Amino acid sequence: MKEFTPLPDKPAPNDVVGIIPWLRENLFPTPLNSLVTLAIIAFFATLIPPLFDWLFFSANWSGTTQDACTNKDGACWVFVIAWSKQFFYGSYPVEEIWRINTCLLALIAIIIASFKLHKDLRNKIAIPLFLLLPFLSIILLDGSLIGLEYVATDYWGGFTLNVMLAAASIIVAFPLSFLWALGRRSDMPFIRSVSVILIEFFRGVPVLALFFMGSVMLPLFFPEGTNVDKLLRVWIVLTLFMSGYMAEVFRGGFQAVPNGQYEAADSLGLGFWQKTLLIILPQVIKISMPNILATFVMLFKNTTFLLIIGIFEMLSTTQTALTNSNWLGGHSTEGYLFVAVVFWICCFSMSMISSSIERKLDTSHRN
Amino acid sequence: MKQLTSVIATGLALSLSLGAQAGTLEDVQKRGNVSCGVSTGLAGFSQKDENGVWSGLDVDVCRAVAAAVLGDASKVQYKPLTAKERFTALQSGEIDILSRNTTWTHTRDTSLGLNFAGVNYYDGQGFMVSKALGVKSALELDGAAVCIQAGTTTELNLADYFRANGLTYNAITFDTSDQTRAGFESGRCDVLTSDQSQLYALRIGLSDPSAAIVLPEVISKEPLGPVVSQGDDAWFNVVRWSLMAMVEAEFLGIDSASADKAKAEGNPSQKRLMGSEGDSGAKMGIPAEWGYNIVKQVGNYAESFERNVGAGSPLKIARGLNAQWNKGGIMYSSPVR
Repeated sequence: MKEFTPLPDKPAPNDVVGIIPWLRENLFPTPLNSLVTLAIIAFFATLIPPLFDWLFFSANWSGTTQDACTNKDGACWVFVIAWSKQFFYGSYPVEEIWRINTCLLALIAIIIASFKLHKDLRNKIAIPLFLLLPFLSIILLDGSLIGLEYVATDYWGGFTLNVMLAAASIIVAFPLSFLWALGRRSDMPFIRSVSVILIEFFRGVPVLALFFMGSVMLPLFFPEGTNVDKLLRVWIVLTLFMSGYMAEVFRGGFQAVPNGQYEAADSLGLGFWQKTLLIILPQVIKISMPNILATFVMLFKNTTFLLIIGIFEMLSTTQTALTNSNWLGGHSTEGYLFVAVVFWICCFSMSMISSSIERKLDTSHRN
Repeated sequence: MKQLTSVIATGLALSLSLGAQAGTLEDVQKRGNVSCGVSTGLAGFSQKDENGVWSGLDVDVCRAVAAAVLGDASKVQYKPLTAKERFTALQSGEIDILSRNTTWTHTRDTSLGLNFAGVNYYDGQGFMVSKALGVKSALELDGAAVCIQAGTTTELNLADYFRANGLTYNAITFDTSDQTRAGFESGRCDVLTSDQSQLYALRIGLSDPSAAIVLPEVISKEPLGPVVSQGDDAWFNVVRWSLMAMVEAEFLGIDSASADKAKAEGNPSQKRLMGSEGDSGAKMGIPAEWGYNIVKQVGNYAESFERNVGAGSPLKIARGLNAQWNKGGIMYSSPVR
């Protein structure tokens, strides 16, 4: 018997493969679409060359003062370069900047470690270190506790401050908001009402109003002669604000855990805390992860609001630089563009990290 | 949770600094620095440079006080404050001096629990318009949209001036001077009003400075000066006389270069200011050489003015009212004796 052999595949017809058919199919299928395509091409053609020219080709790169920006048709990156130390480190003493770098390197190292390490080691080493890092960093940057030169918080600033404040707030807000969310679901009326009031207050009041309360109102309530550091006040405000939001994220997570999980834990004879911490919390975190990270990105960007109360984070450093009488030549476009790019890079990498965490946590409830 | 509470408690304990009841002067001497409230950035008055070094006319007042009390003008802790925070910071004792282009008004002096220690710059509110508008006088501004910075005396002066002249206006308020300028530049308003000193700084920052002019009218008196808490006379005296010493040094012809000579072989009034004669320092509880330290390290008023806002700076503001009383201005100091 003759064995059946299919004919070899024929190549696709010439008029549907290659670049030209693709273009015809996707960009110029109908007269209207062709028109839109041409309009978009014309738009980019008029926009991009001058933009690149301003950004790169005609831009001024070298020099240390405003006068070095001789080409007025290009961006004055000299401004950003000259102020870069202020933008990133604030007024922190030059010879002590290694402390900031150490903290940032440690942060990066811990993030990498939590991806690369084996699961058991990760839970034992990376996570506790991650939780401790903000406090270790504060001790190192402050310096007075460990015998280094004391650097007052007035000298802290720049992008470091944005990162540190965001990290320190989220790490404290995490357990706090979990407790608030638990409290809100509690059957005990006192705990429940306290949690509801706290959550709704910090969620319902604009963060700018909270900052003003922290910087203008709060000092008047302290006893005469008592000063709580402005940065500490702001940190507390940020943490509480963040906790309000995260508590609601967690509550959503709690509600998404099927009732069967609670009942199964109960039937195993687990106590309340065992049930909550061992059975419910891991599932809640998994479910809420996208929202937690979105909230964190929001918090990170919110740290720029601190400029309205005179704390020299990156954005307000930029504004200060723009008012220096030697730099009054109108460099605001360059300055704000630079800040925007730095924040975009950070936020984009955070969303990359967050989607990779989501993939990692995906133990699939999808069936 | 226990760990968390203890960390927060340690943080609070770390940053709690008790004091102020003892008197600001003693506090400052014990602490070894002067805590000074300045602006977050105002060209020529208080500004930070690329290396984080503060300079400016307002900053020099703080440096003068540090030089007088501690003998070292660099021992100042700068606290950048926004316009809304500044009085709270002083009332709560967070800062020892507020030197942040603050106008001396009756309301502020009498109802906020603070004292103005003098005037380091006589300013006045003016108008900047774009040349294209073709306006020559503020009286032609009927119905104009005016950019102003919120929460300052500027707002009240503007209302008074327009009401007194029977004109109407449409106020557009911004929070910082930078935003005000951006509003003016983008054409949201026809006129920008602010203190004249700031108008010149704002004008340099425009993309085309020559397209804007400052109108001749000055519609208000804006004496700017350092502020201290009420009820601490010893400290008030130190701040007032630190400022006076700079003005007096200019009057007596002493500058930072000639301070040593004036101290050793000057005339009696020079020697009294430099502390080589008399006991002016002891009467205030500060070192005898307080005047010498101020002039040597910070300079006299003329030096400070020219370096920060005058001919030696990009702002190029003329001395005007801020010249010495015998040279056409109203800067006048009481004698040290």
